[in-house]
Amino acid sequence: MDGVHSGVISDTALTVRGLCKSFGRKVVENLDLTIRPGEFYALLGPNGAGKTTTLRMIAGLMRPDAGGIEVFGRDVLADPLGAKSIMAWIPDEPLLYDKLSPLEYLEFIAGLWRVEPGTARARAGELLETLGLWPHRHERCEGFSRGMKQKTVLAGALIHEPKFLLLDEPLTGLDAASSRLVKELLRAETEKGAAIILTTHILEVAERLATRIGILSGGALLAEGDLDTLKAQAGLTHGSLEDVFLHLTAVCS
Amino acid sequence: MFTAPGFPWLLRHELRVLWRGSILVRTHRHVIVPVLVVAVLFQGVALALARQVAAHPVALPTMLLAANINIVFLFALMFSRAMTSSIDVIYGRGDADFLLASPIPPDRVLAVRMLGVACSIAAPWMLLGGVLGNGLAVYGQYWGLCVYPMFFAEALLVAAAAFAFVVVLLRFISPQATRRAGHTLALITGVGIFVIGQAPRFVPQHVVAKFWASLLPGPDGGGLAFLFARGLLGEPFALSASLAFALAGFCIVWFFLAKPFADGVITAAASRPRGRPAAQTGQFRASPFAAALAKDLRLLGRFPGIFTQIIYRSLTLVPVAFILTGKFHMEAGMGAAVPLIVFLAGQLGLFFISVLAGCETIPELIASAPVLVRTPARAAAVASVYSTLFIIAAPLLAVLARAPQLLPSLALGIAGVLLSNVLLGQRMPIPLVRASFGKTSTGTVVGLILGVSVSTIWSFATWLIVAPNPLAWLTPGN
Repeated sequence: MDGVHSGVISDTALTVRGLCKSFGRKVVENLDLTIRPGEFYALLGPNGAGKTTTLRMIAGLMRPDAGGIEVFGRDVLADPLGAKSIMAWIPDEPLLYDKLSPLEYLEFIAGLWRVEPGTARARAGELLETLGLWPHRHERCEGFSRGMKQKTVLAGALIHEPKFLLLDEPLTGLDAASSRLVKELLRAETEKGAAIILTTHILEVAERLATRIGILSGGALLAEGDLDTLKAQAGLTHGSLEDVFLHLTAVCS
Repeated sequence: MFTAPGFPWLLRHELRVLWRGSILVRTHRHVIVPVLVVAVLFQGVALALARQVAAHPVALPTMLLAANINIVFLFALMFSRAMTSSIDVIYGRGDADFLLASPIPPDRVLAVRMLGVACSIAAPWMLLGGVLGNGLAVYGQYWGLCVYPMFFAEALLVAAAAFAFVVVLLRFISPQATRRAGHTLALITGVGIFVIGQAPRFVPQHVVAKFWASLLPGPDGGGLAFLFARGLLGEPFALSASLAFALAGFCIVWFFLAKPFADGVITAAASRPRGRPAAQTGQFRASPFAAALAKDLRLLGRFPGIFTQIIYRSLTLVPVAFILTGKFHMEAGMGAAVPLIVFLAGQLGLFFISVLAGCETIPELIASAPVLVRTPARAAAVASVYSTLFIIAAPLLAVLARAPQLLPSLALGIAGVLLSNVLLGQRMPIPLVRASFGKTSTGTVVGLILGVSVSTIWSFATWLIVAPNPLAWLTPGN
């Protein structure tokens, strides 16, 4: 595992410049974004705002029409494998093989990211234990609840100790206890220096976890900053993130 | 005041769902065009056949026996299909709970589902039998049209029996195992029909004649055992009685299942948790290729239909062997075994690669990983080839032991057919109804046709190499 992250020295975790993507209509338009190591960034926006498309382009799953993306100094477009080696992407639908057990799934993911077997075995045990999946490690995922599947996927995302995590609605289907557990795990990752970008419709999660919040609408960034900055940009003196979000997106539309 | 949707509305919905879920419609958008073309061709052939039937009347007892054999075989074929369809409508489609939660009376939902299964299993046979019935009617033999009501009556009875059987099985075994039981029954039936059809070639003529004579109906028309056969041949009372009997059977099963269905007992039995302990190696690998290969081999081993599909593909060799040793006078033994093994290797290779294509439900996971795009494809190809060689290892070793001189030709044929079919399967996987249980399948019928053709070509090429006089059957007198 050391081999993956060794040499990752950059003062920015993510740099996005002039990102554009259209599918007949413009979905992401001239987007600039910078995230620092250890930062928890929440990307919010109404349905169709371009959040998932942005995340997919950063993850190297979709080529932008224009613009550049760098993750810890690695160009996602020029060196996709190098960039992917330090990233993990969790979409809203769990990326899981139903016919594999959690341990087998982690074996597969660890192999894809070339994690040294001894390290992977220890890390898998630790993650499965933490996420409460250890008793189910030999059961096939087909019988799992959505929350258990989501936790298995999270374990897969963390097994290679990524420096940059892209999370698309990661708390969907989790019960309160699991949700708290996942939040703590993610916070611990940022404390270790990893950066996280998260999209969610649960604004309380963003308000509680994120160090910075970006609000996207029509593919463009409407506002960015911590909650106080966003309030100021919205011209509100008090209120929750929900008030700010609704105010800003309503003004835009 | 709210009025629940009526029976016809619900049946229309059910038939639409069944039609759109059929393998033909799933794999081809404009399937109706080739279906119509085939139907016209079949009707042409059936007209010629009907003309012969009309011109050469057969004694009634013989006709009754032929009709009864059809009824019995059809029952077996319909039953296996009805079992898998019943599993689908109770469990696979996943909308039973949704409809049970709607204001539609549950017994109506059940009746429509059972009727939908009856329609879906009757339709192909009504189409096939119908063309002959139409042809007979054209030549004045109007009894031929009885094929429509009689096949539907039989389907009603079969659907009811299959539904009841599946409900009982679901109490003890999983939906997958129940589905496997249906497939196995279909395999046994198919091979049974073929072997019985081939019996005259291996059993002395007088023994066969004696056997059929013992089955002929007596002067009373065979009684209840020949009721459906007499209905099929157009006897009005038997036709009415068969329809009434089938409807009664259907209603009885429906009556007894309606309550447990309404209570959710049946769907609950089908959807109990299916997580099972898996054999675990705990073998972490630092190579993406090795990790992908291990994953692919596991997915292959856990594909729901893997056992029956391998048996089925192996059994396709039975008719080919009969043809080779019969029509082409290929002597039994190693000479005949070589093309058969090549054919089997091709079919298995295509099947395995198609399973892996269907199992790859999360391609985006690999896309997000730092691996070369071709790594998963290579791993899938190697997994398919490895699995094929594993299965054909026994016959390969037999050839090696008994006729080592054939091995180079055999190896060449296997390598060629596997390379061709694995490449083909990666681009055009064959349709697999349950690539992922309960989910939409992938694949195309074109891939299936091409795959069989490729296997045949390689098999034929190998046969040309190993057979001492491959074109002897073209010589007059042979």
